[in-house]
Amino acid sequence: MKKAGVNHDTLAGWIFLAPFLVSLSVFFLWAIVRTAWFSLTDYDLFGTPSFIGLENYVRLVSDDLFLLALRNSISFAAIVTTLQTVLALLLAVLVNSAARAKGLVRTVFYFPSIMSSAAMTLIFLWLFQRQGLMTSLVGNVINLRWIILSFVATVAGVQVLQVVLARRKYAEVGLFDPFFLILSVALGLAGAIVIRLGGWLPVYDEQLLISWLNTKEVFLFMPRTLWSVALMNIFTTVPTLMLLFLAGLQSIPGSLYDAAKMDGASSMQSFFSVTLPSLTPVTFAVVTLGLIGTLQMFDQVAILGAAAPLESRITLAYYTYYNTFPPGGSPNIGMASAAALTLGLLTLVIVFVQRQFGIKERIG
Amino acid sequence: MNTTERPLRPLNVLRRRQLAVLAWVYFVFIGLATIILGTFAIAFSASLKDNPLESPFRLIFPQITPSVWIKAADLGRQGADNPWWGGFAPGGELVFSLTYAAPAGVDLVTPEVEVPRRKPGSGLAAAITTTFASDYAIVELTGTSDRFFVSTEPETGQNIRWLARTFDYKISYSEEAGDNIWIERLPFTALAPRTQTLLEATLPVTRMERRGRVASWNNIAPGALGLILNSYRRVISETVDLSSGDRLLFKWMGNSFQIAVGRVILMIVLSSLAGYALARLQFRGVRLVFVLVIFSMTVPVQVTFISNYLVVRDLGLLNSNWSVIMVMIASVHVLLMKQYFESFPREIEEAAMIGGANRFQIFLHIVLPNAKPALIINAIMAFQGAWNDFFWPFVLVTNPPSALAMPVGLLSLRESYGGGQGDWSLVLAGAFISIVPVLIMFVLFQKYIVNNQVTEGIK
Repeated sequence: MKKAGVNHDTLAGWIFLAPFLVSLSVFFLWAIVRTAWFSLTDYDLFGTPSFIGLENYVRLVSDDLFLLALRNSISFAAIVTTLQTVLALLLAVLVNSAARAKGLVRTVFYFPSIMSSAAMTLIFLWLFQRQGLMTSLVGNVINLRWIILSFVATVAGVQVLQVVLARRKYAEVGLFDPFFLILSVALGLAGAIVIRLGGWLPVYDEQLLISWLNTKEVFLFMPRTLWSVALMNIFTTVPTLMLLFLAGLQSIPGSLYDAAKMDGASSMQSFFSVTLPSLTPVTFAVVTLGLIGTLQMFDQVAILGAAAPLESRITLAYYTYYNTFPPGGSPNIGMASAAALTLGLLTLVIVFVQRQFGIKERIG
Repeated sequence: MNTTERPLRPLNVLRRRQLAVLAWVYFVFIGLATIILGTFAIAFSASLKDNPLESPFRLIFPQITPSVWIKAADLGRQGADNPWWGGFAPGGELVFSLTYAAPAGVDLVTPEVEVPRRKPGSGLAAAITTTFASDYAIVELTGTSDRFFVSTEPETGQNIRWLARTFDYKISYSEEAGDNIWIERLPFTALAPRTQTLLEATLPVTRMERRGRVASWNNIAPGALGLILNSYRRVISETVDLSSGDRLLFKWMGNSFQIAVGRVILMIVLSSLAGYALARLQFRGVRLVFVLVIFSMTVPVQVTFISNYLVVRDLGLLNSNWSVIMVMIASVHVLLMKQYFESFPREIEEAAMIGGANRFQIFLHIVLPNAKPALIINAIMAFQGAWNDFFWPFVLVTNPPSALAMPVGLLSLRESYGGGQGDWSLVLAGAFISIVPVLIMFVLFQKYIVNNQVTEGIK
C-alpha cells in the first residue's frame, strides 16, 4: 500500500514539476552547457562554432580590458560590501535603543530599495553632473572648511572639558557621554554661527567642477566613476540592511547583556563579545548577498553608457555583454562565454566559502 | 582602578543621560530618513525646474510658488481660456508687463520684444515641432508708466534714486492666420541694454541670455499645471515614435506592464506546482531538483544570457515582450512556495485523500485556495522584479523604440536628453513617472513587502 503511494507520488511529483523543469532545463541548464561549449569555440552568433580548445581563456588572461573588468568587479564588490555592511551595522547599533523602527520610518527606509536601478541611476547621474548638486555640496564644505573645523574643535573641546570635570567627581563617565554631547554640539553650532556672522574666519567663494563620472582617475584601486556608483549602491542598500540588522539585534536576549555587565564588561567589550557573535548569521547573509549582488553589477554600467569612459566603468558582467554585442565589431562569443563562466565561478566560490564558514559557525 | 574612591553619578543624572541617549537615537533616525527622502525630494524638485543644474541650487523657485501659479493660471486663461494647461489659441489675448529700472539720469530704453521662433528643447522636440507661436502672435506696446524709488548702496551707504518704467504689452492671436490652431507654448524675449535691469515681470523670467541683455521666457501662457509640470508634459509629448507618432512613454509603460503581468502568471503556475511537489511529495530525484533550485539562484544571468538570446532569436521572438517573460527562472518563488506549503497542515489533505480525491484534485481545490497569502506576496515580488528588471529587456528588446520596456526606455531618454547641458528635468521626470506603478503597489501592500524582505534576508 505504502509502496503504491510512493509510486503514485513519483508520477504526480514529476507532473507537478514538469512546467518548472522545462523552463529550468531550457533557460538554465542547457544555457550553462552551451555557454561552456561556446567558451571552447570560435563563434560569432551567426556561423557554426568551431572547437579551438582553451584558446579563449588564454586570450582572456592577456586581454587588458578583461583584467581591468576583473579588477573593477572585485574591488567594487569588496568595497561596497564592506562599506554597506559596516555602515548598516553601526547605524543599527546606534539606533537599537529606540523601541522599534515602525510604521512610517520603516516605509521610508524601504523606499530606495523598491526603485528600479534605471530610475535610481538617472537620479544619481543628475546628482553627479560636473556642475551638479554633489559638486556644489563638496564645494560648500571646502569653502566653509575653517568654520567646519572650528565647529569640530569646539565640540571636542567642550566635550573633553565636561567629561574631565565630571570624572573628578564621579566614576563611569564615558568620553561620549550623550548628555554632555548634546551640550557640546549645541555650543559648537552656536560658535560656528557666531564665527560665520562675525566673519572671523575666512569663507572662500571658489567655484569648482568635479568630474564624478567622465574621468579616468583611479582612487584606491577603483576608478572614480565606480566610486560614484558605489555611493549610489550604498545609499540604496544601507537602509534595508540596517533594518535587517535591527531585527537581528532585537532578537538578542537582554539577559546576555546583563550577564556581560555582571562580569564587568564595558559597553565596548559587550559589543564585541555579545552583539557581534549573536549577529553572525545575519552578517553572513548580508555579506554573501552583498558580494553576489555587487559582483554582478551591470545595470548602472549600461545606463552610464557614454557618460563615462569604458575603462572607468567596465565590470565583468558588462565585459560579457560588451563582447557579445561589441559596438561596430563582430561578436566574440567565445571570450564572452569564458568571461561569463569566470564570473559564475567567482560567485560559486563565494557561496562555497560562506557555506563552509556557516557550518563551522553552527558547530562552534 | 579608582572606581571605589569615586561614587557613581546620582540617579537623576543617569536618568538624564538615558533621555539624552533616546534623543540621539531619534536624531539619527530622523537624520537618516531626511537623507533618504531628501534625496528624492530634491531630485523631484529638480524635475520641476527650468534648469535643474542651476548653481546655486534654489529651494524656492517659481514652479513651487503659489503666487506664480495664480499668474500662470491667469495667463493661461488669457491665452487659450485654459487656466490649467494654458496655450495660445484663436481669440487669445494676453497682457504681459515688464518693469525695467535704471539709476535716475540714465536713459531707459524701450526693450525690443518678440515672440521668437523657438523649439521647446533639444532631442526629439526639434524634429516634431511644426507650429510656432511666432507665426500667429502680434505683439504691441499698449502703455508705459513710470515711478521712482530709492535704494541704499550697501557698501558706501549712499542713497541712489532709480527710475522704474513698466512696459505693458498685448500679445494677441492673429486673426489673419487662417488655420486657427492651438499652440502649446508662447515663448517671449526682451532685449535691453545692460544699463537697465529687469526689475519684475508678470511671470518670472526663465533665463537671461547674451550676458544678461536678453530676458527669455519659455512660455508666457503656461497655465498653472503647464508651469509646474512643464517637464512632465514635455517628456510625454516629446518622446514620440517618429514613424507612427505614438507616445513612447505610454508604450514603454504598457510593455513593462505586459511583461510584469506575464511573469506573474507564469511564476504562479510554475512555482505553486513545483513548490507543492517539493514540499509534499516523496519521490526519487526530489533532492536533486531541490539542489538545482538552489544552484540556479546563485548563477549570474550573464552565464545564461548568450544561449537564451539564441533560443529567443531562433524562435523569432526577439523584440517581443514574450521573450522577456519566458526567460524568467522562478527558483526563488519555488523555494518560497515550498516553504509555505511545508507549514500547511497535512491533516486536511489526508482527509481529502481518504475521501478519494487524487493529488491534482487536492491541489486545485484545497491547497491552492488556501495558499492565497503566499501567492500574493510572490506576485508582488515578481511584479516589482519584472517592472524593475533591466538586463533581459535590454538584451532581448532593442528596437523599434516603441517595443522597449520602461527601464530601457529611460536609458534612451538619458541618451537623448541627459548631456552636460541637457534637459535633465525631462530625464528626471521620466524616472519619476516610471516608478509610479511600483510606488502605488508599495503603498497598497507595504505590510507584505516589508515583512517579507526582512524574513527573506535572514534566511
